[in-house]
Amino acid sequence: MANVIIAAYNLKKYFPVGGFLFSSKQTIKAVDDVSIKIKENEVVGLVGETGCGKTTLGKLLIRLIEPTAGEIFFDVPEEIIVEYEEALKNKDTKKIEKISKRYSFLNKKGGELRRMRRYMNIVFQDPYSSLNPRMLVKDIIAEPIISTGYASKKEAEELVFKLLEEVGLTPEFAFRYPHELSGGQRQRVALARGISTLPKFLVLDEPTSALDVSIQAQILNLINEIRKKYSITILFISHNISVVHYMSDRIAVMYAGKIVEEGYKNSIIFDPKHPYSKALISSIPRPEPMREKIIINLQGEIPNLINPPKGCRFHPRCPVAFEECGWTADEVFQDIEYIIMRRYAEQFNGIKRIYIEDDFTISVEYEGKNLIEEKLKEVLNKEKQELRSLISIKNIKSESTKIKIELYKFVEPEMYKSKDGINVRCLLYREKK
Amino acid sequence: MSEILTINNLKVWFHTRRGTFKALNGVNLNLRKGEVLGLAGESGSGKSTLGLSIMALLPSNAIIVRGSKIILKNRDYLKYFELFPEEKIDRKFKIKKNQKIMKHIRDFLAKIRGKEVSMVFQEPMTALNPLLQIGYQITEALLAHSSINLAKRILSRINLTEDDVREILKIVKSSKNVEKDLNEFSKLKKLDGIEDQVLYILNRKDLSTIRKERMIYSLKEKMKNPLTMSYLKKIAENKSIGIYRFLNRIPILKRYLKGVLIKEGYRKAIELLAMLNIPHAEKVVYMYPHELSGGMRQRVSIAIALANNPDIIILDEPTSALDVIVQYQILQLISELKYKLNISFIFISHDLSVLAEVCDRIAIMYGGRIVEIGPIDKIFYESLHPYTKGLLRAIPKISKDIKTIESIPGTVPDMRNPPNGCMFHPRCPYVMDVCRNKVPKSIEYSKDHFVECFLYGE
Amino acid sequence: MSKNIGLIGRRNYLLKQNPRIEELKISFKIFFTNPTAVAGFVITLLYFIDIILVQFFPSFIGISDPNRYIYNFNNPVPLPPSSSHWCGTTAGGIDLCDAIIKSIRIDLIYSLFIVIVGAIIGLLLGLVSGYLGGIFDEILMRITDIFFSIPYLVLAIAILFVLGVSLENIAFSLIIVWWPLYARYARAQTLSIKQMTFIESAKASGTRDLMIMFKHIVPNVLPPIFVQISLDLGTVVGVFATLAFIGFSPTANIPELGYLTSLGLNYISIAPWSVIIPGLVITVFALAVNLMGDGLRDVIDPKRRSV
Repeated sequence: MANVIIAAYNLKKYFPVGGFLFSSKQTIKAVDDVSIKIKENEVVGLVGETGCGKTTLGKLLIRLIEPTAGEIFFDVPEEIIVEYEEALKNKDTKKIEKISKRYSFLNKKGGELRRMRRYMNIVFQDPYSSLNPRMLVKDIIAEPIISTGYASKKEAEELVFKLLEEVGLTPEFAFRYPHELSGGQRQRVALARGISTLPKFLVLDEPTSALDVSIQAQILNLINEIRKKYSITILFISHNISVVHYMSDRIAVMYAGKIVEEGYKNSIIFDPKHPYSKALISSIPRPEPMREKIIINLQGEIPNLINPPKGCRFHPRCPVAFEECGWTADEVFQDIEYIIMRRYAEQFNGIKRIYIEDDFTISVEYEGKNLIEEKLKEVLNKEKQELRSLISIKNIKSESTKIKIELYKFVEPEMYKSKDGINVRCLLYREKK
Repeated sequence: MSEILTINNLKVWFHTRRGTFKALNGVNLNLRKGEVLGLAGESGSGKSTLGLSIMALLPSNAIIVRGSKIILKNRDYLKYFELFPEEKIDRKFKIKKNQKIMKHIRDFLAKIRGKEVSMVFQEPMTALNPLLQIGYQITEALLAHSSINLAKRILSRINLTEDDVREILKIVKSSKNVEKDLNEFSKLKKLDGIEDQVLYILNRKDLSTIRKERMIYSLKEKMKNPLTMSYLKKIAENKSIGIYRFLNRIPILKRYLKGVLIKEGYRKAIELLAMLNIPHAEKVVYMYPHELSGGMRQRVSIAIALANNPDIIILDEPTSALDVIVQYQILQLISELKYKLNISFIFISHDLSVLAEVCDRIAIMYGGRIVEIGPIDKIFYESLHPYTKGLLRAIPKISKDIKTIESIPGTVPDMRNPPNGCMFHPRCPYVMDVCRNKVPKSIEYSKDHFVECFLYGE
Repeated sequence: MSKNIGLIGRRNYLLKQNPRIEELKISFKIFFTNPTAVAGFVITLLYFIDIILVQFFPSFIGISDPNRYIYNFNNPVPLPPSSSHWCGTTAGGIDLCDAIIKSIRIDLIYSLFIVIVGAIIGLLLGLVSGYLGGIFDEILMRITDIFFSIPYLVLAIAILFVLGVSLENIAFSLIIVWWPLYARYARAQTLSIKQMTFIESAKASGTRDLMIMFKHIVPNVLPPIFVQISLDLGTVVGVFATLAFIGFSPTANIPELGYLTSLGLNYISIAPWSVIIPGLVITVFALAVNLMGDGLRDVIDPKRRSV
């Protein structure tokens, strides 16, 4: 059986922010509970909007930054991965510990880790800042060879010329500084550096976003060529979905620090399951004017990852969200306040105040003996179409001078398997009991 | 369709330490009223320089070569200046003198800029001032060119009578074409500016009808003090404001004079932002740029560009820094504005897919020339120039059977030392002998579809 | 196969041009097209020529004893500039021209020593604290805060009171006062370079921290530090002379600009040149070095290089 190059389980990366004197320390949950598995010779594309954590995930996988929690295996036989997954499912802590102890990539330290770095590398987006401006191209390319101990200094010199040829540059480029090269040439140098130690696993972080279309095509084809020649496994990170579709075998869609959908590329592009992927893929600009478009327009903004929405992180923007998707009292409170105090202010004269009682209850206090309860029910029902949060209202109860609005409790979505092999993190695809 | 902007043989070069950088080498272009013209090309093709030349925002080392024409609304504004002829731009070129000419051009066009042509840049964070409120930045643009309109808006509210309001409500309730009728009404009653305000209230989605009517009633304002009134009247009639310029320097009086206009500017800003689908516009005007997301900031930049009702808006890669979903929203907004306001847009982008979503016509630029220009479907489905074909083949397309993309061999030419003849010949697969020596002329291959290539024509 | 191409390509290329020399050429070109920088450079050069002449060929410029002033007690009152004394004389009948030429050497050499040693200490500490961060960084920054909170002249005088009066002690006290400046500067530079992706890229390819610091960060931090040194040199010469002027110069016989200026102090009302001329020599040097430093700043500015 083929090896699994990268297998990560429940990976988390929380970046601390603030926390000065008396305020408590907060964290940005850049990557939260992500599992990903990449088999040998596979190209996995990772797409998502800015700030969704895709670059962080790429860096975590090669341990350029250390995860807050989780487990990573690097280049492990498939049997062991299967065994580990089974143990995870059965919560067999003893077995989990045993396997981690032996194979975990996170246990590698110091010299051992440095030697392992030979098998993995990363190519960054911006070819203008990813090459040291005060080093010659030959030193830039030779650096990983020497520091991982892949070859001696002397051999490295010769290897550099071979690598330059490999990426379509003439030998004299070895004696130039990065600023003398064009963007495409720089990215070729970065690529030569990336493959200089014949790695098994390469993370390409938006390798062509800074390049022109015609140069992008050159680089993409070059990557494909090199990959086939040296059988390199690739994680291709990009916000350009057309490019990802062109390059990869499987695609994972990330939203707000979580992978929301993952599967074979054509199933994802032509028949996305998750509402977010649907919106994302429908809004890709295509070089086909006059085509028929079915566009799903999303409202709202990408959530703040310090305090992400509860339940499914997409629910506040989701056009098909339902009552259990993760609504909490503060979200509903804002909408109810808006309705009562602004939109229908003239109908609700007697209302004294609205407040959050607990996570799933909102109270409305009123004066006099108006028929506010009926009116409120009617208005809330009417506005359900536009303000999705109102669907999470379970019932409205009257208590003397108070109306209690109770909400449904939310369910945290897990990865569910859909029919055509796509894993989706959406309650719509949860197996019915 | 009428042409609003014509560019003839525009040559813009840059003087640098390592030689003359020939960014534009004879661009011919026309822009029609109410269309979106896409300007596509790779970096170094001169597409941004073209946008900056129209705006006259070129840096001081730029040289506009004699013979270039930029005709905006039938006025050739370069003809007033003594430009350098091509043959004089060599080693002994007088940089200082040219800088003076460029400064004159910039100063001269500062009056036009923003009023007739305005521009939206790629990075909205740097285009907006981080220290000023959004509303103030829009107001600033308004005060620069259309303080008359602001004054008229205030006066129209003051002059509004009870009967007028009743009539407006009647129009609102019964008329089929509210916008047109309101316009006629305001002209008849000399209440310029009231129609915008009524329409804004009507178009708000977050209010009930009763509320809207109440708001229209409350449009009527009390008379202001005599000083303010006479100031506003002077501005509204476009008379010289003489002594008020001095009074505006006195802090307390300023509140009653300029302050009134600024307040009105904020009101207008809210209307503009609401037109661009910004939720809670009345809160957004008091925010600072860093409080908004990238897409919102770009909307604000568009609002500033729209503030003075320009004829042309140049969009320089307005969506390149944005994510796909937000990008789509902005593109949708631009199409909407095109129909609503009858403005012409020049949309500069390196991404043909983005242009495909919004443009009516597309011009493909290479080496400082427009090599092909035509209606969008012609460019995408019947492209002629080898470069256009190459570009289209280099874009990965989403389809079930993946076709390998083909790149164009070679790199963009060094514009300090451009190749002879056709700029594209070193990379062209169909290169012929003529291409190496002669610059191809523009040929109208089919209606409205021009190409500069020797493969076509006789 | 690749071996041959590589060697031939390399040799041919090296024969044509060396990239490092090309870089230097551009730097020179930028520097020498800036007239004020060139003026500053020429004046600075004159001062340094003076040092070399006094140190190695004193007789060449007619100086008999470079290490002490020559008194003329026949005429102890300062004389105005004349054909025999170009700059006039100061108290004790010392010829000002002769004295200034001798004094420049001591001032400049000590000042150079101060900035270079200060810069090395500051660079190393700033580099390590900027790169490693954490508690070490915190401690270093608080130490520099303490140094910055006390006016540097007052601090230097306090140190000199403890150590006693000598030129070496002046230098030592100034190094103590000066290094925090460089530490702060080097730290700031390190922090900004640490953010660049090529550092991350080096980490990803398994480069050790020490190598990253010295191969990636130091070459990028050094140029701005050099500029800072050249800008500081003028100030340090001034401060050094000031300390000597207010009486921390040990014996009367060491030729030093500050001490020389103080000699004329008693005669300032009748012989202003005896104070003005030595003072001017210090000021002109400070100005020249500053102009040169501004020119150097342009040289390392990537924006200027690319045009």
